[in-house]
Amino acid sequence: MSSSLPYRSADDAGNGLPRLSPAPSLLHHRTPSSSRTSLRQPSIANVPATAALFPKPRRCKSQYPRDSSERHVEYILVASFHIDRGPIMEHQYPTAISGDESMLAELMLPDQTHVRSQDWTIFFLHKDTSADADDDASVSSKKQKKKKGKRRAADDAQSGRGDSRADDESMEEDSSDDEEEGGEGPPLMYVLNLVNTKQDNTVKRGAVVKAMAICTRHSFLHIYKPLLLLALEDYFKNPYPETLATLYNAVNSMDLSLMPRLSLLERQILQASNCKDMFIEKFEQMIHQRSIEDGAPPDDEDDPPSPKRQAPLQYTLPRDTHEFESKVVYNEIPIPVKIPTVIWPETVGDFSLIKLIQTFSAPHNTSPQAFPVHPHLTTSGPFTHPIIVLVNAMLTQKRVIFLGHNRPSGEVAEAVLAACAIASGGVLRGFTRHAFPYTDLTKIDDLLKVPGFIAGVTNPTFANHPEWWDLLCDLPTGRMKISSYVEPAPVTEGLLYFQQQASLHHYPSSSNTDPSGDNVFMEEIQRSITNRYGENAIRAKWRAYIMKFTQVAAAFEEMVYGASNLFIIGPNEELSPESPSGVQADPLDPTTLRGHGYVWSDEGAKQRELLASVSRIEGWRTTRSYYSFIQDIAAMYYPARPILKPDLHHHHSRLRALRLSAADSGAIYIAFAHAVKDYAGICQLLTITPENQAGLFYLSMGLFHPYPPVREATVDLLERIAAHPAGRHFWAQLNRFAKLAFFRIKRDRDASAQSPAGLGTGSFGPRSLVGVAMGDTA
Amino acid sequence: MGGSVSKIMGKIFGTKEMRILMLGLDAAGKTTILYKLKLTNQDVTTIPTVGFNVESVTYKNVKFNVWDVGGQDKIRPLWRHYYSGTQGLIFVVDSSDTARMEEARSELHKIINDREMKDALLLVFANKQDVQGHMSPEDVTQALQLNKLKDKLWYVAPSVATEGTGIFEGLAWLSNNVKTQPQK
Repeated sequence: MSSSLPYRSADDAGNGLPRLSPAPSLLHHRTPSSSRTSLRQPSIANVPATAALFPKPRRCKSQYPRDSSERHVEYILVASFHIDRGPIMEHQYPTAISGDESMLAELMLPDQTHVRSQDWTIFFLHKDTSADADDDASVSSKKQKKKKGKRRAADDAQSGRGDSRADDESMEEDSSDDEEEGGEGPPLMYVLNLVNTKQDNTVKRGAVVKAMAICTRHSFLHIYKPLLLLALEDYFKNPYPETLATLYNAVNSMDLSLMPRLSLLERQILQASNCKDMFIEKFEQMIHQRSIEDGAPPDDEDDPPSPKRQAPLQYTLPRDTHEFESKVVYNEIPIPVKIPTVIWPETVGDFSLIKLIQTFSAPHNTSPQAFPVHPHLTTSGPFTHPIIVLVNAMLTQKRVIFLGHNRPSGEVAEAVLAACAIASGGVLRGFTRHAFPYTDLTKIDDLLKVPGFIAGVTNPTFANHPEWWDLLCDLPTGRMKISSYVEPAPVTEGLLYFQQQASLHHYPSSSNTDPSGDNVFMEEIQRSITNRYGENAIRAKWRAYIMKFTQVAAAFEEMVYGASNLFIIGPNEELSPESPSGVQADPLDPTTLRGHGYVWSDEGAKQRELLASVSRIEGWRTTRSYYSFIQDIAAMYYPARPILKPDLHHHHSRLRALRLSAADSGAIYIAFAHAVKDYAGICQLLTITPENQAGLFYLSMGLFHPYPPVREATVDLLERIAAHPAGRHFWAQLNRFAKLAFFRIKRDRDASAQSPAGLGTGSFGPRSLVGVAMGDTA
Repeated sequence: MGGSVSKIMGKIFGTKEMRILMLGLDAAGKTTILYKLKLTNQDVTTIPTVGFNVESVTYKNVKFNVWDVGGQDKIRPLWRHYYSGTQGLIFVVDSSDTARMEEARSELHKIINDREMKDALLLVFANKQDVQGHMSPEDVTQALQLNKLKDKLWYVAPSVATEGTGIFEGLAWLSNNVKTQPQK
């Protein structure tokens, strides 16, 4: 067993800079059957070694380009309550938004708006619910065309530059463009609405009620709140279209063009991280590019922007890269706005999961009430935590109503948006599209046509109509109610399968009171809230919960139906029990490590958890969010992953959850070191090692592995991560103990690399490394 | 569970709950009546109701849950959503608005002919008895064609909502007659 890694020394300049090992090209030669590898090959092989690992930053694209024809805000509306005619639309700018003005006006004047001076609401416009489907559909398709036109224009601009980077870039950028669509149809129109009631003795019946709304395709519509406050006040004084025009022009002059566009993996990393300067390089680059466009000296055009260089004064870097700061100048008043850099699907506006969880946890904790049992909903029995009941209801596409009697309609809207986010986890879709953050009785007939909706209302008459909903969430009392009209869960193949299994194997279900783990999970969530972990941490935990749900569902489908739509298995992988995790399919290729999916500590734990979840999984398998998730996997999540083998998530989970033999864990470390090479690969690895799940800790354990080649492979991997723009933050958070081990191993290796024996050829290296590892296994 | 306990307690201590729906044309005085009931001795100024108001009022051992729904003609089709479970209908008429009395009659008959309202008591407030040129309760009864109603308990109470005159008499009639209703 050699303590040196011959193939490393070939291009190890010892300067700490990232290197490209020849392994990928060798892999290519040795496994021509792997089409994925050969597909990726050109982009790596055609560029110099150092550039391939962390290529010179490509031209960074803006999320909201300056020349985009897409406007931040598309319409401004004003409605008022006419004492004889009820809600009416007063003005629309720049043009009328749709034919059904009265529907819009009703939505803009929420119930009981006469009892408070000010109220906010949010509602969405889309063809599913509005009475005039055709009108809205035509609006939407117009937008879609616009969007396509924009993309074409952007592509033209790229090819016009005519250098080799353009192709490379358009390939990547195109895929990230498509991510947003997700096969769900045209984006929703989000409407933020402010309504004011002013007592006025000079008018008939003593009050004027007016509402102003902003219609936008951006889901961060809450940033417009201060502007609406100012503009509606102005409108009371000047009730003319000019007031609407002033607001429209002000918000559309907002400049967001310096916000970089991030890939899916980068967005996942940024969202999961608390680092305030994660991906700051991209913001620097945007500014750098802009100053060149602005006519800065061209001599430094080819220099990558160094983190040390001061940005030009007129453009400042964000204090926290999670948000982009800009301003809107309205009537010469500059109003600062912060736009989130990462926007997950199903995250609309400004809501608090913590508030939602606390609202429904407090009464449950002090005096729990038994739910009537429903297999889809009460997955932990009659005393299932209400938030779990809510998530189950949404996952199985039930009709959910949030009722806030005597509460501002903005409050019910927030609860609906939070519920969408909690059930989606930023992973699943199809909730906001069927959400009605604020609605009232006037829309009830349309609402009831939607299978599985989530709606916010303030009118308590909804509570008297259990035939309208399956789950009623009452905000003032923090109680949920399952309707007596809820459809019973059908008996399915999967359920029968598990009942048979359970009777055959007699898994002691009674010994475990929380087989689904939901009780423990909710306790942990509430503990995190008590300990002030913050909204971001809670959202990350829910994201992990929903991710896990999809993985458990995939394992369930494989077990019951023999295959799963929820997981695209990698090359060399087999769906059979004869192919256990950790077996290397190709003895010459360490990355062909088999195994995929969720990792349980043992078979009994797996059976218990699947049995506990079988009903809600079966309930989910016929819903919109299930089908759109399958589409998303194929169109978005799978293509975004550069590393298809081994299953990084699976094997990292094995390191975390299992007590592996030295040979098994060694194979994982070596497979990772071989597979994770380039920028995107490291990004993919970092998405499965978020800060709140111990970061690089489990990888760093490879530094203490009994086999020296494993330790050195781990050093190489960590070295690449440390030099990675995002990975450096993860490296910085690694504990001192691991870092000391890292430097010791590196020093030893550098010392032995001085000797001639350490110099080997690249082609020899990997094979001998594998040989060592395999030899030890045998 | 908690609900049924309080119902049993209600039976023991003789308190009843009654769900009342208050309807009428716009500007008839519904909201004023509601808040006069709720805030007995205070002056009430109201503005047009956007949607609805609902308040609980306890009077003579009966807890009235009174729903007051906006009356503009465009939102009248929504009234039907409030019918189910309603034990008493309060229909408020502006006795001085003779021009719209026929409109009021038509709306009232639409409501009480609904299947879900067939068992509900009907209390009509002939409101605004203080305004010049008002109709008397008898004239209102004629105009609304209440004598045509069969199998219906009804009562017309004259009222001046802004002063609170007559409204508790109306409520007393409801609480005296609710016993004859089947328990919900």
